[in-house]
Order: sequence, then structure tokens, then C-alpha cells
Amino acid sequence: MAIKEKGYTHWDGELSERRFPWWPITRYGIKLTFKRKFFKPFLMLSLLPAVFFLAGIYISERLQDFKFMVRDSTSFLKVDPKYFNFYFTNNGLLFMLVVIMIFCGAGLISDDLKHNSLQLYFSRPIKKKDYFIGKTAVIVFFLSLLTLIPGLVFFIMKLVFSGSFKFFIAYPWLPISVIGYSFVLAAFFSFYTLLLSSINKNRRYVTILIIVIYFASDILYGIFYGYFHSQYFSLISLRADLQQVGAAIFNQKTPYNIPWIFSFLVLCAVCLLAAFVLKKKVKGVEVVK
Amino acid sequence: MIPIVETKNLSRWYGNVLGLSDVSIQIEQGISGILGPNGAGKSTFLKLLTGQIKPNIGFVRIKGKKIWNNYALLSEIGFCPEQDAFYEEMTGWQFLTSLLKLYHFSKTEVETQAQKALEVVELTNDKDRVIRSYSRGMRQRIKFAQAIAHDPEILILDEPLNGLDPLARRKMIRLIKSYEKEGKTIIVSSHVLPEIEAMTNRVILIHQGKIFAEGDIHYIRDLIEDHPHIISVKCNRPRELASKFINEDYVLKVNFGLTQDSLLVETNNRDKFFSLLPSLLVEGKIEVEEITSPDDNLQAVFDYLVGK
Repeated sequence: MAIKEKGYTHWDGELSERRFPWWPITRYGIKLTFKRKFFKPFLMLSLLPAVFFLAGIYISERLQDFKFMVRDSTSFLKVDPKYFNFYFTNNGLLFMLVVIMIFCGAGLISDDLKHNSLQLYFSRPIKKKDYFIGKTAVIVFFLSLLTLIPGLVFFIMKLVFSGSFKFFIAYPWLPISVIGYSFVLAAFFSFYTLLLSSINKNRRYVTILIIVIYFASDILYGIFYGYFHSQYFSLISLRADLQQVGAAIFNQKTPYNIPWIFSFLVLCAVCLLAAFVLKKKVKGVEVVK
Repeated sequence: MIPIVETKNLSRWYGNVLGLSDVSIQIEQGISGILGPNGAGKSTFLKLLTGQIKPNIGFVRIKGKKIWNNYALLSEIGFCPEQDAFYEEMTGWQFLTSLLKLYHFSKTEVETQAQKALEVVELTNDKDRVIRSYSRGMRQRIKFAQAIAHDPEILILDEPLNGLDPLARRKMIRLIKSYEKEGKTIIVSSHVLPEIEAMTNRVILIHQGKIFAEGDIHYIRDLIEDHPHIISVKCNRPRELASKFINEDYVLKVNFGLTQDSLLVETNNRDKFFSLLPSLLVEGKIEVEEITSPDDNLQAVFDYLVGK
């Protein structure tokens, strides 16, 4: 029988860290989202607009062939930054993104709080930063499916269908706008969703909050605008703020007659607030509340 | 020799509430029991040891290295929390493998380690069942499995015997003791003295956030030898059992529970009481449902020790 020496056993190996310690958290989050009821059909449905826009790009290059279909409505099929801006900032897409947030983001932190799992995460070689990156990456992944990837595909396919680089030469900054606005959407929705997910243990309650706050901000804008007729109240509306910033990034006329930078600052403020709350809320479980 | 765990002036407040105050101890290899009544600061102490919360004053060193913000060192620690911390819809296997993936294990290693841990806690046959369907004992065991799965050198177990039936409790104690034989360091908390006693002689008494006593459990036992203990016996004929005990000089008081099926015996010699009890039960053919020492018993012991 081996007799163990009583005392400090020296650690011979090297304490190594995983290169992307957050990856298992992300992978699990993505896997779990795909398992959610109705998620796959909804994702398919939300990809339909992208398919239509892609078809629009194809038709725009073959107008002669599709003349019987498009007749005089060729202005809609003019593929330029406005076309991209319309895809990225239309109410339908933004609504889809909110619903995607419900599927993939509502339970990201609230489920961990509900199941007391934070203490299991933080008693392992996982930094708080890794935890947040892991959770954010889940949201970014799903948002990218509807924003960054279609945006880049539109651009590439436009070049492919046209068979020339004219479009690229005319709008060389467009891919950067696509990446930039996808980043804005990802950053805003990640912070927005994680903030709400961290304030309650109940996923359903978080789901309601995600929808209600988004739409209530819009309704409030409508009410204030109705009374005061000032477009500055559009700053209250999260949707309007996203559309303002989107228009600015795609170099288009902003939909509201106010400087887009104000909307950008509002979105930044939401993100800062979220970062502050997340720092306070997500920590090793306190024994005394 | 560097102690495995060392704390110095360790203090932690939660706003105005004192969680832990000025704790300076050294813990070496083997099992050390942290004993204290509910709310004494045991969980705070263990969470500070695992680097989950930051001390307001002082520090924790594990193998000579500060634990706070030293994430790599956490690979050396296995932590079993007091509360359930499961995704109920996961199977035991999914639960273990998903947590193992947070370490730097390869896919094959994750599966091997999870399998090994499940074998140790005897849950191999139930690994594909969802945790929601696990019994209390199985939940405690899967929680223990996640703490040992990455083969840590230090095990920190917060009330691992809570809610277990006597058989499961014995199994768990045996399991914990087997880790001691492997040369590991185990820190286990409890608010029940006999539980700690069954595992180790080394205890740290913690009370109101302070280390109250530290050392050999026999010393503590000597101190509280004459102190009255309350023992509750739930059986089918409590009055008959009471009549058998009433003549014993170490039985100070006998009470009956409100439901008329339990007996509360106050004794100043627990050992004598427990050595006589089985024979009396057998002689009288009395069916016992439960024998417990009420939780506040330990609080009373502490009150006694602090001279209240």
C-alpha cells in the first residue's frame, strides 16, 4: 500500500489556460437555442426576407428577362446603399431580431441565476469576462445569420450576378458599412438582452420585458410626438434609434429630422447601463442578500 | 512546509452584515471539517476559498498562491455547492461533460473523466436520465461528481450530506474518506457535529463569522461532554420508549412532540444514550421512523461554549 507523504505535493505540470475559454459556453448556448420549440421554423421564416432581397439583386441584373414581372417598379430593384439600408433597418427585420433575442438570449443569464449555476462557472477557470463573451457570442451568432452574413452575401452576389467590379468601385465602403451596422446591432441587442436576462430568474418574465420595452419605447415616442410634434422624441424609441444610426452608416438620409449622433449616444447609454448592471448582477453567489 | 490552504486576516462583509471576520488559519492535507450553525459564515468562507468572492480584507493562498483572480489555480479545486446548481433538463452525463469542457480537456478526456466520476458516485446506470428525475441522494452525488471529475487536488464541499438518508449519507462519507486516502485535501462544511465527526478529527469551529476553535474534535467533545443534547426519536410508541429512559441518570428531560409520534430526550451523555437506544428498541419491539438531533442543537453547543 502506498503511503502518502503528509504535506504539500508539488505541482509538476504547467497550469495552462484554454485559448478560448468562453467557447464551451457559446457552443452550449447555440445548441440549446436550436433545441427550443419553434425556433428552427422561425429562423427559416426570418431568413425569407434575405432570400427575397437576394432574388431582388438577381432580378436587378436580369431586368430584361423579368420585365413581365417588374413592369414599371424598377426603382425598387435599384441595388445601391439604399437597398442595403432598407434591408437592414426595415421594421420587419428589427422585429425578427427582437424575436430571435427571445429565443436565444432571454434565458442566457436568467437560467443560470435560476439554477444557481454561476457558482459552478466561477469556481472553474472561467473569468467573468469569458462568461460574458461566451454569452454574447451566442447572440452575435444568431444576429449574424440575419445581418452580417446576408449583407455580405448580397454584396458578393451583386458582384457575381453583374460579372464586374463596377458596384465595388462605386461603393467600396459598403462592406464596411455592412460590418459596421451588423456590429452596432449585435452590440446593442447583446447588451439589451443580457441586461434584461440578468435582472430576473424567470425566462418568461425576461421574454416579456424584451418585447415590452422595445415596443413601449416606440409607443411612447408616438404619444409624445402626437402631443409635441417634435422628432426629438424619436430618441425614446429604440427602433427609431437603430434606424437613424443605420441610415447614417449606409450614408442615407436619416428617417427622423434630428442628428443621428444623438440616437447613437442613446444606444451607447443603453449599452453602458447594461454593462454596469451586468457587473453588479453577475458574480459569485452572495451568501447574504 | 507550505500549507495547502492558508488564510490571513480574511474578512468579508455584505453591506453592514458581517460574513467573516479576521480568519487566519492553515489547512493541510486530509479532511478538515468546518463546523458551525446556519448563518455562521461557512459558505462565505468556502466561497472565499474558491475565489468566487473577493475578501474585503486579507487573502487566501492555495498552495502558496493567491486565489483571487488566479483562474488557472481553480483547475486544482473541486467545489460542491450547498444548493442545487443544475440545469434540470440536462442528463447527468450532459451536466458533467458540459462542465468538464470548461477545463482544458480534449473531447476524449472529457468523456473519460466524466465516465470515471460517474463510476465513483455510482451513477453510471443513471447517466442518461434527466437530472429532474434524480432523487435527493442522486443529486448530491452528481454534484459531488462535478467536483471530482477534473481530478482536483483540493475538494471543497459545502454541506455535502444535506438532505441525504442515512444509507446515502454513509456512502457519501465513505466516498469523501476515500479521497483522503488518495492524498487529497478535503474541506467539508456542516452544521451537524456527528457528520463531521464521522469524517475527520480535525475541525474548525466557526461562529458569527469568526473562527471560534480549531483543532482535534475530541477536544471539542470533551468541552461539550456535560452539555445537554436534544435528540428527537420518531417512533410508533414514544410513551413506552420514554418510560424506559426515564430512570437513566443521564436523561435530564423527556418531552413529547405535538404529533404524539415523537419523543424529545434531553441528555448530557449522548454516547450512553445512543448505546442504550438500540437494545431498548429491540426489546420493546418499537418501530423507529427517524432519529435526529435538531439543528439548533449545535447553536446551543456554541452558546454553551461561548458561555451564554
